[in-house]
Amino acid sequence: MALLQISEPGQSPEPHQRKHAVGIDLGTTNSLVATVRSGSAEAIADEKGEVILPSAVHYDSNAITVGADARARAAQDPYNTMISIKRLMGRGIADIKSFGEQLPYHFADNDGGMPSIETVAGPVNPVQVSAEILKKLAQRGREALYGRDGGELDGAVITVPAYFDDAQRQATKDAAKLAGLKVLRLLNEPTAAAVAYGLDKGEEGVIAVYDLGGGTFDISLLRLSRGVFEVMSTGGDTALGGDDFDRTIAAWIAEQAGLGTDLDAGTQRQLLDSACAAKESLASAERVEVGYADWLGVLDRKIMASLLDPLIDKTLRACKRALRDAAIGVEEVQEVVLVGGSTRTLRVRERVETYFGRAPHADIDPDQVVAIGAALQADVLVGNKSGDDLLLLDVIPLSLGIETMGGLTEKLIARNTTIPVSKAQEFTTFKDGQTAMAIHVVQGERELVSDCRSLARFELRGIPPMVAGAAHIRVTFQVDADGLLAVSAMEKSSGVSADITVKPSYGLEDRDIAQMLQDSYAHAAEDIALRALREAQVEAERTLESLLVALRENGAQLLEEGELNELEHAMEALRLAHNGGDAEEIRRRMEALNKLSEPFAARRMDASIKRAMQGHSLDEFDK
Amino acid sequence: MATNLTHFEIFGLAPAYELDRGALAARYRELQREFHPDKYASKSEREQLLAIQMAAQINEAHTVLRDPVQRAAYLLKLAGVEVPPEQTTADTEFLMQQMLLRERLEEVREQPDPATALEELAAEVQSLFRGEQKQFAEAYSAGKLVEAEESLRKQQFLIKLQRQVEELEADLFGDY
Repeated sequence: MALLQISEPGQSPEPHQRKHAVGIDLGTTNSLVATVRSGSAEAIADEKGEVILPSAVHYDSNAITVGADARARAAQDPYNTMISIKRLMGRGIADIKSFGEQLPYHFADNDGGMPSIETVAGPVNPVQVSAEILKKLAQRGREALYGRDGGELDGAVITVPAYFDDAQRQATKDAAKLAGLKVLRLLNEPTAAAVAYGLDKGEEGVIAVYDLGGGTFDISLLRLSRGVFEVMSTGGDTALGGDDFDRTIAAWIAEQAGLGTDLDAGTQRQLLDSACAAKESLASAERVEVGYADWLGVLDRKIMASLLDPLIDKTLRACKRALRDAAIGVEEVQEVVLVGGSTRTLRVRERVETYFGRAPHADIDPDQVVAIGAALQADVLVGNKSGDDLLLLDVIPLSLGIETMGGLTEKLIARNTTIPVSKAQEFTTFKDGQTAMAIHVVQGERELVSDCRSLARFELRGIPPMVAGAAHIRVTFQVDADGLLAVSAMEKSSGVSADITVKPSYGLEDRDIAQMLQDSYAHAAEDIALRALREAQVEAERTLESLLVALRENGAQLLEEGELNELEHAMEALRLAHNGGDAEEIRRRMEALNKLSEPFAARRMDASIKRAMQGHSLDEFDK
Repeated sequence: MATNLTHFEIFGLAPAYELDRGALAARYRELQREFHPDKYASKSEREQLLAIQMAAQINEAHTVLRDPVQRAAYLLKLAGVEVPPEQTTADTEFLMQQMLLRERLEEVREQPDPATALEELAAEVQSLFRGEQKQFAEAYSAGKLVEAEESLRKQQFLIKLQRQVEELEADLFGDY
């Protein structure tokens, strides 16, 4: 006879069901996905054994290709092959023009907002392109964790550069939404690299993360203090990387072989390929033979050092600037972490070691280190591992402000404030009977609004009509742990909450995303109604489960009998809706239950603060 | 607002001006371990929102409590006295002293040894600030709110001057 399982009160009936989470490094040139399996984090390879997925997407009239196959088509079909799309995330047309780069794309005109690129498959935007890359990586993750049959991922940590502003972070999160991924956290790339090396468990101090990729260089200085990872400063060069190494060595070969400078594309490609191969050989060999046509010569480490040093000098100058911005001396840096494929070049390691006066961490594959750190954090966040030893507190990289009279910025939240953070600001009306007002939110350090980045315009409506100056509208700006802003507003005297419409300056509105989701389902022939129902059901299950646990814990102490009855009725109603098939009805019931349980939730928060205080005598703090 | 507790209650502290910064920092870490949204990453949307609000309130409380001027202003606010940050004092002697200090700050560049001149000035401002902190603590604990308020205004003056000293320092010697 089967025994009936009875779980302890307060314990989940399924004590240890492993969740499936991945870490994703969504890079400018290359992307990777990693996960924690049997205790250690590793990057996931595709069926050919390739770990790196080139961040390239090719659009055909009836097919979308992602990765190496897409990159291979960039030369013959540049207009339909999206590369380096990360540079366009959260940017407007005007920004892209000011990059001064030769982007081959045909940009559609759309009144200054998010750029849209014309392809044979119709217009696409950077969020959609990134979503394709994420989908490919997610699929890899699912196959690795579940096998061919697939299953759903429970969540993902996606990395972003530390200097990404709100719009760029939001665009990344939107891309994940579009790809059907639940984002556990957006993590700063340098923080992820430090986590991969377990530096979060280390001493307090300054960590420098030196990230030299194919086309970009980033330096970040992090301060670890009392469990807080703070980004002190970032710097770099968006047009400097390993590709420049190859070009320099190729130019040397051309010169040695007496080829002159006016070379056709084919010759250039050949030269670059042998330059890159020679550079890689010199990571282990002292010298390597190089040749072109009937010329044969030798490249040794010394010659390569003299060729690359001017480029490496540029990266070290950026390090120096970052140190100055952080107001610290180079001797205060305690750990150095190498990230990016180009840090494999021996000369780079030597110079970095000399500059910082200490050997850098380089044991983990520098292409994979960010994804691995993200996977470790994902494993903790999804609940597989007690995260007591890992707590990453981030800061907001750029100040948030609002536009005031005369185009000036009033700072609301200063840069380097620990997030989450919320600030309330009061506004008043300046006309009798005014029922609406607009708030322009910007991000940046400068005084003039025109020198900062425009984030969004919020329109408040539904303010009760009063005489000028009588309405007091309290607007709350809240930045979550991912650095993303949300705004709410309420008229104080009447308690009426104002409706807010958000117009992101370079982003997508919720309804745009809903539309894109719908379009993509139409392509995949997936039933969108079914998906919406499933999502609502999952959320209802989460809500009911956590309320049940809460009631078991301290429902009796914190609730009056009448309140308890009401809650139980609302829970039963949600349970019934859950078993029915109407997503709308589930959402309505859930909303009602959430509203009803709000006072209980607040009392629980207070109770858990007091509980956390037990074991501390009050005078312990009262010195 | 996730909780109606005061900043002091969140940190389990009696409302007093003097506090142990080490204990504050330790308590902050404990609170973050309990309430940081990362701990709620796989919970329901509702709980995630609550955690964001709670963590934001903890961060705000921490920012206010660890800063002596903000802490003083908050104590007065709890006692029903709002002190706007830019309000002036009527103490003419104090104002005169401030003017002289400011003049000295402006003349630091022309001194034969600017580093020492600045250092002396910084030490003087620091010691005046400490004096006001003591004043505030005594007045507040004796329930003399008017005197406490006056002291807070002076602290606001002094902290502004201190920032100007730091700026000049960075300007003169900040380059590595």
